[in-house]
Amino acid sequence: MKSMEEAKRKYDEIPIPSELSKRVGKEIEKANMKRKKILVFRRRVQKGTAAAAAVVVLFTAALNTNTAFAETAGQLPVIGPVARVLTFRSYQTEEEDLKISVEIPTIEMISEDMNGLEQSVNEEILALCEQYAQAAKTRAEEYRQAFLDTGGTEEEWAAHNIEIKVWYEVKSQTDEYLSLAIMGTENWSSAYSETKYYNFDLKEGKLVTLQDILGDEYQQIANESIQNQMKENSEIYWDDFEGIQEDTPFYLNESGNPVIVFEKYEIAPGSEGQQEFEIKR
Amino acid sequence: MKRDLYDRIVAYIVENQNKFYRLAFSYVQNQEDALDAVQNSVCKALEHYSQIRNEEVIKTWFYRILVNESLKILKERKKISGNEEEMASLSYEEKGFEIQDDLHSHINRLDEDTQKIIKLRFFEELSLKEIAQITELNLNTVKAKLYRGLKLLKVEIQEVEI
Repeated sequence: MKSMEEAKRKYDEIPIPSELSKRVGKEIEKANMKRKKILVFRRRVQKGTAAAAAVVVLFTAALNTNTAFAETAGQLPVIGPVARVLTFRSYQTEEEDLKISVEIPTIEMISEDMNGLEQSVNEEILALCEQYAQAAKTRAEEYRQAFLDTGGTEEEWAAHNIEIKVWYEVKSQTDEYLSLAIMGTENWSSAYSETKYYNFDLKEGKLVTLQDILGDEYQQIANESIQNQMKENSEIYWDDFEGIQEDTPFYLNESGNPVIVFEKYEIAPGSEGQQEFEIKR
Repeated sequence: MKRDLYDRIVAYIVENQNKFYRLAFSYVQNQEDALDAVQNSVCKALEHYSQIRNEEVIKTWFYRILVNESLKILKERKKISGNEEEMASLSYEEKGFEIQDDLHSHINRLDEDTQKIIKLRFFEELSLKEIAQITELNLNTVKAKLYRGLKLLKVEIQEVEI
């Protein structure tokens, strides 16, 4: 009978196949993926919010404007109306290799009643954000199906890292105006990116139009300004600029001037991206 | 907290995978089944990691899963190949690791608990306390089984350090 030492030596000599680390790694990878989903789910449960499956909804009241300013303004008897933009809700979800993050803003008027405007605008923003996220999801799923139907594998698809983002940006905020951009993008295709601008006249309690800012001649004024600016960089624009419309998107910059925005492809090749023209008053 | 624990378990598994493989191999006696046993154990461990409360028990907890998974594979195999233990271990013999009529193969003929105790004590060099946790037996039972097992193997108790 050989000794225990001998048996131990033999035991330690059991050869380790190279496949071992691969198999263990694969299992860990699988667990990591599963875990991510569970974490998202758990966060939702902890917050106690009811929502569609696998969607986390967090109610936040994070001020994205100057907090100190807004808080002071909210407490003092305010001269002139002050508005602030809050994140109404944000959620992130990941399902079937699809990452979706949505941040929906809401407008809050601190002192002035805006004749129900804020409510209707907030409802519109909410619907807009959700509609976009839903449409983007459908597009991503169609894309996925097409990808798999044409011989792509699930692994290759997962490597695409599909992401859908809906978020907002405060373009400017003064005592008179609040200008907000709501944006949606899909990382696999720039063709469906969408931006919608909201410009509030805080004194009048309404959404402002180009006409309100530039007067009745707003089309002529804006077109002239745009054409002059285009000349400085004429080689990039297509030469069939037809002028702005009533509903041409714009936002207000810090100096209160309207900035007219043309989406990609609208007046120039897509490679030039979005084009912006400030119209000085 | 939970996140830390999960990461630590992953780190522990990655670090000790060779040991796990050897222990599984000592049960199932062939590469494919040993790989399966380790893989199944990793899967189970990461699925149920929230069961454990603190990181001190990662080691004993994982060994328990591993031994159970190895035994499960052995049992399934016995079901398929009938009740001939000898046949099972011989037919699955691997090159480079020949099972001879040595201590090792005698250990494999001991009862389940004793086998576990001896392998964990002498091959994996765990403490008796750890082994008690893994086997879910009390410490005195572990000691008693260990002595009895060594006697059966005709290993001089003075020869080994317990």
